[in-house]
Amino acid sequence: MRIGRFEAILLLGGPVLFLVVFFVGPFLLMTVASLQAKGGAWTAAQYVKVATDAYYWEILYETFKIGLWVALVTFVMGYALAYYITFQVKSRLVRRVIYIVVVTPLFTSVIVRSFAWIVMLGRQGLVNQALQATGIVSSPLSLVYSKTGVIMGLSYVLLPFMVLTVSSILQNLNRSLLEAARDLGASPLMAFLKITFPLSLPGVIAGSLMVFTLTVSAYVTPSIMSGGRFNVMSMLIFQQYMVLFDYNFGAALAILLMVATLVLMGVYVMLLERRARAAG
Amino acid sequence: MSDDFIAVDRLTKHYGPVKALVGVSLGVRRGEFLSMLGPSGCGKTTLLRAIAGFVEPTSGEIRIDGKLMNAVPPNRRPVNTVFQNYALFPHMTVRDNVAFGPRRRGVPRGEIAGQVDEVLAMVGMEGFGDRYPRALSGGQQQRVALARAIVNRPRVLLLDEPLGALDLKLRKRMQVELKRLHERLGLTFIYVTHDQEEALAMSDRIAVMKDGEIKQLGTGEEIYRNPSSRYVADFIGEANLIDCVAEAQGAVRIGAGGTALPYSSSAAGPTTLMVRPEDIRLGEMGAPDGAVSVRATVRDKVFIGQSWRIFAVLETGQEITVEPGSSHEAERISAGASTTLWWPRERGRILAQ
Repeated sequence: MRIGRFEAILLLGGPVLFLVVFFVGPFLLMTVASLQAKGGAWTAAQYVKVATDAYYWEILYETFKIGLWVALVTFVMGYALAYYITFQVKSRLVRRVIYIVVVTPLFTSVIVRSFAWIVMLGRQGLVNQALQATGIVSSPLSLVYSKTGVIMGLSYVLLPFMVLTVSSILQNLNRSLLEAARDLGASPLMAFLKITFPLSLPGVIAGSLMVFTLTVSAYVTPSIMSGGRFNVMSMLIFQQYMVLFDYNFGAALAILLMVATLVLMGVYVMLLERRARAAG
Repeated sequence: MSDDFIAVDRLTKHYGPVKALVGVSLGVRRGEFLSMLGPSGCGKTTLLRAIAGFVEPTSGEIRIDGKLMNAVPPNRRPVNTVFQNYALFPHMTVRDNVAFGPRRRGVPRGEIAGQVDEVLAMVGMEGFGDRYPRALSGGQQQRVALARAIVNRPRVLLLDEPLGALDLKLRKRMQVELKRLHERLGLTFIYVTHDQEEALAMSDRIAVMKDGEIKQLGTGEEIYRNPSSRYVADFIGEANLIDCVAEAQGAVRIGAGGTALPYSSSAAGPTTLMVRPEDIRLGEMGAPDGAVSVRATVRDKVFIGQSWRIFAVLETGQEITVEPGSSHEAERISAGASTTLWWPRERGRILAQ
């Protein structure tokens, strides 16, 4: 079917308008604000302040560290779960049920889920009681209001993203490739390392990028689970906007977070692609 | 069966209620080119996959060179497979694909390169080592898949419809190349196909399969000349299957009370006479003594290049196809004419139902 120019403009116009209003516009406004002083005069003072105060770099570093941990935890758990669902579960019904169980938490408010974790991780919570009952620890661990707690909470919240991206790739993996590998003398482990895993890397990359960016920009879970004992970037930005009403400095921090995230993602993708090429 | 290189003994495979293999026994000789031929769903691929180790048999045994294989995982069996859709590793170059097997077996690094170059040259793919599979045509991928299997010098090469995805011309060429490769390597080939022409052209012996059973096992000529059943006769080549009736006295007639034929049947009742179209001649005169002749009416005829194909109707109304070569009679005869069809007695066979 051919469409005329008018229809094409109409069809494209909607998404383009949406993009401009909701993404390009706010981004430009924020960039402009970050380059202004409170009165509206042009200045680079906001960035000078960020660059010269080690505190912000420390928070940025901590934020990324949490992002990496969450990406790692969701990768290990999510890959295992995706692999299990795809290769071990034979019944289609059971597979669907597992998918639903994996996705269901996304239907619940992230606030509720974060508070649930506080209950679970508290000194008298489920996790500590279980650890003590089994004799693994003698006195309760302080899991809640710690970085470990934030990592656990975010890993739980973001796990579905990893599971879904990885399992969609694994499901489309040509099974005869695995048979070919076995046929050519590879043990099951070798077949996984040489065939399954390299071919599922696109899913791992997509999943970990999603989890990482969602982690470093997450606000609700870290602010609830940190208990105010430490900051991450999103909390810092929130404070600038909503507590100190310093929109200009808040904007500068937001831009810093975004640029730093993009750079990190770029390096990550480049490294992985080079490695994939070298391995191939 | 003790001197058979591969001995399959009463192999059964059930998928739930579906019986893919029903007590198949088969002996494959060392260095033989054996084809398993049958329509899709006949169990030929299941049997191949059982030998490769991808299908766990419900019961029965597989032995290769006397060693029981049932509990041996695929990576420890002395066989390699050329898969139906090649199954080349898309993230590896041709060279790495071919080197995959030698690397797993721990062949020293220095030797691998030489082995890879050697087999790539053998299949005419030298110079393609650094390409990725997606940059190759179907025929080229086929050759790489072949190279990847034979570089391991398996005792047995299993081929699962390896030419199925190629166009006719390329398929014919690859048939010849495969056959030559078989002779050159001296390996045992087990070849799965649904193409009877392919099986006839390449195999030392053919196992014709249906519904999870081997219906007949023999050389191409044996199966073509002496099919053991209606099914085999119909599946291999073209065949006229003429419904006959065997009388209690042992005489065989076309239809009840029709022309008596000089054949005998072991049991009374309906039976089938098979005659190949190219064995039938036509003409009022010229039928030698001892030939079987029947009356028929020509319905129509078509020119097929090397001869005419004539469709005639017997007195009983059954249609019969005749390819009499380029004879005078065939040239002259026209639709509607009444004629005599004859064939040497031994070229007709009474088949079990």
